[in-house]
Amino acid sequence: MFDSKVIRRRRATLAVFVGLSIVMLTAYFGESNNGGFFHTLQRGAQEAFAPIETGTDRALKPFRDFFGWFGDTIDAKGENEDLRSEVQDLRQRLAENATGARDAAQLRGLVELRRGEGFPGATRPVAARVIARSPTVWYSSVKIDKGSSDGVRRNQPVIASGGLAGKITEVTDGTSEVTLITDASSAVSGQVMPNGASGIVKPEVGEPDDLLLDFVDKGRRVTEGTTVVTSGFTSSRVESLFPRGIPIGRVTKSDLDEIELYQRVHMKPFADLRRVDFVQVLTAKGTPATSAQVPAP
Amino acid sequence: MTFTPAAFLRAGLIALAAVVLEVSGIGAMRVFGASPDLVPLAVAGVAIYAGSVSGAAMGFGTGLLLDLAVGGTMGVSSLVLTAMGYAVGRYREVRDPAHGLMPIPVGAAATLGWGATFAAVSFMLDVGASVSPVIFGEMLMASAIGAVLAIPVFWLCRKILRPSLVIDPFELRRRRGRPREAGPLGLRGLEI
Repeated sequence: MFDSKVIRRRRATLAVFVGLSIVMLTAYFGESNNGGFFHTLQRGAQEAFAPIETGTDRALKPFRDFFGWFGDTIDAKGENEDLRSEVQDLRQRLAENATGARDAAQLRGLVELRRGEGFPGATRPVAARVIARSPTVWYSSVKIDKGSSDGVRRNQPVIASGGLAGKITEVTDGTSEVTLITDASSAVSGQVMPNGASGIVKPEVGEPDDLLLDFVDKGRRVTEGTTVVTSGFTSSRVESLFPRGIPIGRVTKSDLDEIELYQRVHMKPFADLRRVDFVQVLTAKGTPATSAQVPAP
Repeated sequence: MTFTPAAFLRAGLIALAAVVLEVSGIGAMRVFGASPDLVPLAVAGVAIYAGSVSGAAMGFGTGLLLDLAVGGTMGVSSLVLTAMGYAVGRYREVRDPAHGLMPIPVGAAATLGWGATFAAVSFMLDVGASVSPVIFGEMLMASAIGAVLAIPVFWLCRKILRPSLVIDPFELRRRRGRPREAGPLGLRGLEI
């Protein structure tokens, strides 16, 4: 009944497949992002999969919308109340900002200050459709149907629904991979408006509706409802990947721990990254040769 | 499962369909805060009918396709799905389940196992971000969705694989269910 040959063959098969997986994993980590066998293979496969994924994505959209409709209907009532109060708040801010913008323009003219490269002025958005999504929360990435032939390059910022969505990490001729700001490897330098407190926006794996603005100076009190935008820092040697002023999210709460050196701010991203169907790649901002990667703490 | 080109083609078709459907739309649907996951169900569906060796091969192939399609770290999905396919296949070989509702617990366990093992491997690869406890609730909900989806997915896997299967657990169930009306000829009248 227990044929030792069968048992050996079964175990050998498992060992071979596990071994192959570990070899792939090790080799993949050893390769640089630009080259290497497995990265090239991935790019080739993504190019080949793109037409099938585009077709399937379009065919499945009605079903996705149908399921999304249920959730939307349940959330709509509460959201309506929130939006009414937000509109009131925004009207007041609009009036303040219009006055501030006029004053700023006059002062800029007085001191002949060059207008910095920011969002949206210095960018040329390219609209793209999302054709594939990462199925696990551990790797948050999407694939879009625009590639190098459309002017898309690595490290260009991507926005969705008016908020920062991520950056381009892989490009083929007709497709690109966007690593979302909810990916575990993501880190973006952000600034709270209007008080100017800076920090690093990092995700909380498994909770795409909650981002963390970490390393915020405790001396600068961050209040609920304020907006966080990309800080787009520039120094003589390095430059942020993201231009200044891309909205990231709204502050929901702030943890002020007596022991901690910094305060930790929770925020809800403007872009609904769970159900993103269309994005814009900000292509005009070139990829700097020495772009700063914010180190993981 | 008999290892013929047709059998490989059938299993490959299931793997490709599961991966394409998952990354192109099914994965973005939100049902009670979680997303349906077809990939572990397809691997478990093949493993439960075809056994541990086929299950491990299917897991490896599907994982490879998934990593190639979404641009994830190569080898992670293959590693997890190989182990999962082998485990489900061994369960079939050891326990020989033949109940009609068998896909429900197997589907739930496969989805939960896939989520939990993927999380464990991701932790080992050093996730550079904090992890929300919400993720555990989502895993359980995804497992419940997997239990429901397992019935049609397993049925489809069986339909596709049937010509290549050596033993079909559901056929065994039918054979077991038939009552025996008489003993072997040589034992008649011996009262045993």
